[in-house]
Amino acid sequence: MSRATRTALVRDDRTLYEAVAGTAVGLSGVAFVVGLTALLGLVGIDDPVAGVGLSVALGALLLALGASVVGFGMASRFGFVDAAPQPSAGIVAAVAFTAIWGAVGAAASGAAGVGTGGRLALGAVLGGTAFAATAFPREDVGSTAPAGALAVLCGLSLLTGLIAPGWERALDGYNATLFGDTVVPAVVLFASLVTGWSAAKAYGGFGARGRNVGAYVLIYLVVGSILAVLVGLVAFVAAKGLPGLFNGFSLGGSGLVSWPFLTSGAGLTAEVAGVFPALLGTIWLVAGAVLFAVPTGVGAAVFLSEYAEQGRFTGAVEVATNGLWSTPSIVFGLFGAAFLIPRFGNQKSLIAGMLTLGFMLLPLVLITSREAILAVPDEYRDASAALGVSKWQTVRSVVLPAAIPGVTTGVILGVGRIAGETAPILLTMGGGVLPAKSAAPDVLGSFRLSASPPFVSNPSLLEATSALPYQLYALITAGLSGNIQNPQEYAWGLALTLLLVVLAFYAVGIATRYYFRRKLHQ
Amino acid sequence: MSQTDAAEPVANRTDGQGVSTTAGETVEETRPEWTSYEAGGETKFAVDDLDVHYGDDHALKGVSMDIPERSVTALIGPSGCGKSTFLRCLNRMNDRIRAASVDGTVELDGEDVYQDGVDLVELRKRVGMVFQSPNPFPKSIRENVSYGPRKHGDIETGLLARLTGRAEPDREEALVERSLERAALWEEVSDRLDDNALGLSGGQQQRLCIARCLAVDPEVILMDEPASALDPIATSKIEDLIEDLAQDYTVVVVTHSMQQAARVSDQTAVFLTGGELVEYDDTEKIFENPESQRVEDYISGKFG
Ligand SMILES: Nc1ncnc2c1ncn2[C@@H]1O[C@H](COP(=O)(O)OP(=O)(O)OP(=O)(O)O)[C@@H](O)[C@H]1O
Ligand SMILES: [Mg+2]
Repeated sequence: MSRATRTALVRDDRTLYEAVAGTAVGLSGVAFVVGLTALLGLVGIDDPVAGVGLSVALGALLLALGASVVGFGMASRFGFVDAAPQPSAGIVAAVAFTAIWGAVGAAASGAAGVGTGGRLALGAVLGGTAFAATAFPREDVGSTAPAGALAVLCGLSLLTGLIAPGWERALDGYNATLFGDTVVPAVVLFASLVTGWSAAKAYGGFGARGRNVGAYVLIYLVVGSILAVLVGLVAFVAAKGLPGLFNGFSLGGSGLVSWPFLTSGAGLTAEVAGVFPALLGTIWLVAGAVLFAVPTGVGAAVFLSEYAEQGRFTGAVEVATNGLWSTPSIVFGLFGAAFLIPRFGNQKSLIAGMLTLGFMLLPLVLITSREAILAVPDEYRDASAALGVSKWQTVRSVVLPAAIPGVTTGVILGVGRIAGETAPILLTMGGGVLPAKSAAPDVLGSFRLSASPPFVSNPSLLEATSALPYQLYALITAGLSGNIQNPQEYAWGLALTLLLVVLAFYAVGIATRYYFRRKLHQ
Repeated sequence: MSQTDAAEPVANRTDGQGVSTTAGETVEETRPEWTSYEAGGETKFAVDDLDVHYGDDHALKGVSMDIPERSVTALIGPSGCGKSTFLRCLNRMNDRIRAASVDGTVELDGEDVYQDGVDLVELRKRVGMVFQSPNPFPKSIRENVSYGPRKHGDIETGLLARLTGRAEPDREEALVERSLERAALWEEVSDRLDDNALGLSGGQQQRLCIARCLAVDPEVILMDEPASALDPIATSKIEDLIEDLAQDYTVVVVTHSMQQAARVSDQTAVFLTGGELVEYDDTEKIFENPESQRVEDYISGKFG
């Protein structure tokens, strides 16, 4: 046992090399974030930074990053630093760099006006070189040189103004033009991703640890950008919709909240046009669909996984359910229009919409409940059976409680889909474009008992009702020109309300799931 | 040492017409094989010529034995010899394994449990079982213990019962405490009965499963290695419990510990690899003077 060959478990002395590589990772991250904000249009690509345009500054940064990345590889290759590179950077990196450099070659020659043959040739030459440069040398060179060279190239083309903010290029063969203010951020994003990965590998000293750090950086940057896009989307709708949503909003002197956008209709008498009827319509619609689909879906799932003999029948049901879930919503809408409407008073109605969306939700509830039930360990069933407890009681007291979190996940996903559906309710539920407050469904208040069958009736369920997505659609097709003050603001407020309603349903679902998970595991 | 497939199945008849056996070419017989054993007392379980197959795998071969009432019967033998399989035949838990098929008869108080029309729920209420690996429900400790009685309607705790004043929280409380106390777990969990049972240690879960089984108050208790994850103190408490239970109940216990079998059981059955019952007799006799050479080898650690 020679102690000398052991690697230390704790790396306490942070070398200069690591510090520089860490800084390079950080700067790549900065470049990535700036590229992303520019792509989303939050900063202009030619905004001045330190006396030069942003695009030029980013070019200089990329150039420096590229050069230092190459430097890391060389420092390791010629033994100036203590790293543990593997013999090769590996086939995945090699193929990736081949593709990237091949594309760069083709694009560059295209820009230089070479024909198709020339493009292919240059692409192949650059791609082949990149492959050789990645695959054949030791890992420290193979995973830095092609990456660094790419960043240097991108940096130079930004720095020299080869690709600049005003730049534009028509794509021959496509009816489209590329503009500098999207291409520059895209180039920056891409190059910084590559240098970030490469510098992270250097930071980790290559080898297994380096690959680990490299993968982390890649994943963080990509996940971060996805989150940024999501947040950007919500922020965009919120920014556009808030003025409409809070139109006339006030905290009354008596401590009462007055929120006319949510509590009034869009009738002529309303001071501030609001979305109350459609809001209530959407809430009832989703509630009705869930009330219909969850018991039936869970019941069917219990039957299929606990009682039915697993075989051809259950297999066929499974295929059919998956097919139903992928069925386009307009088809469900047509079914509702052709089958349900004639059975409910021959006009578009709330209940027809509820049932149509319920049918849409059913397959997903069934699929996820079935998965959740099958995932309940058999040990629980055995334990219960061995205590002399009947099958149904076992299902009810052990299996279903353990499956609830999974079922809830399914319902959450499904509600997200149906709450925003427009096509099916367009065909089955209708409602006005700008319904007055009196058009709001009063489901609870309209139950009537009668002495003859069917004993209860609810006229409110049988009336055409508006829902948020449908109203938005109807507003847009009507050209945003209703007799309300500011249709544009109204429509964005409506969109934001819809988003918030869906998020609220999510929140309810997630809270339910959290509650039951805690109960199961704590 | 292994049994080849060519070896004839051992016929261990308890009805007196015992047949001497061949135990494979590799075993040198120095003594006659065991033939039969008549346990004292009333017979609780009469098992006759029991065969179990898992698909093509012959897991139990022609096992016959009578298990007397109000006593402790230990099952010992190497891993994979079919002890758990045998135990599962007694409360028909093997029915739940798709591949398993059972032939032969198992009589509980003279009634064949494998005949048509047997109510499995009723059977398992009378024949309780503690599994080899602890399997508490993902519920609170209290709910785990009172689960059986609640579902059987012995204790009413539901909303309706509470509304109509028929709920018996005190009785439930008493039952939970008594069961946990007998399973030597009460002191450790008395202040956290509402915590989830999955948060207990392996050994605590094992005792919880024993308590859960006791709460149902079965006539027969089948225990599959009930002390496998327990420290010596808890083990000795469980052993005391087993001896104590034998006053009123019939206990069948699988164990890998010879000492445990010797300490707690009245009679011991030795299964050996291949799923045969090699010897079944008073525990003293098995451990001091077994008839079969193979059993002696196994007990003295020569047989793997
Ligand atoms: N569910 C099952 N499906 C198929 N074969 C099984 C099943 N359960 C047990 N077997 C087989 O039956 C034989 C006996 O198994 P069993 O569980 O009864 O052994 P055991 O004596 O309890 O062993 P251990 O001491 O390890 O618990 C083994 O060969 C095993 O492979
Ligand atoms: Mg076992």
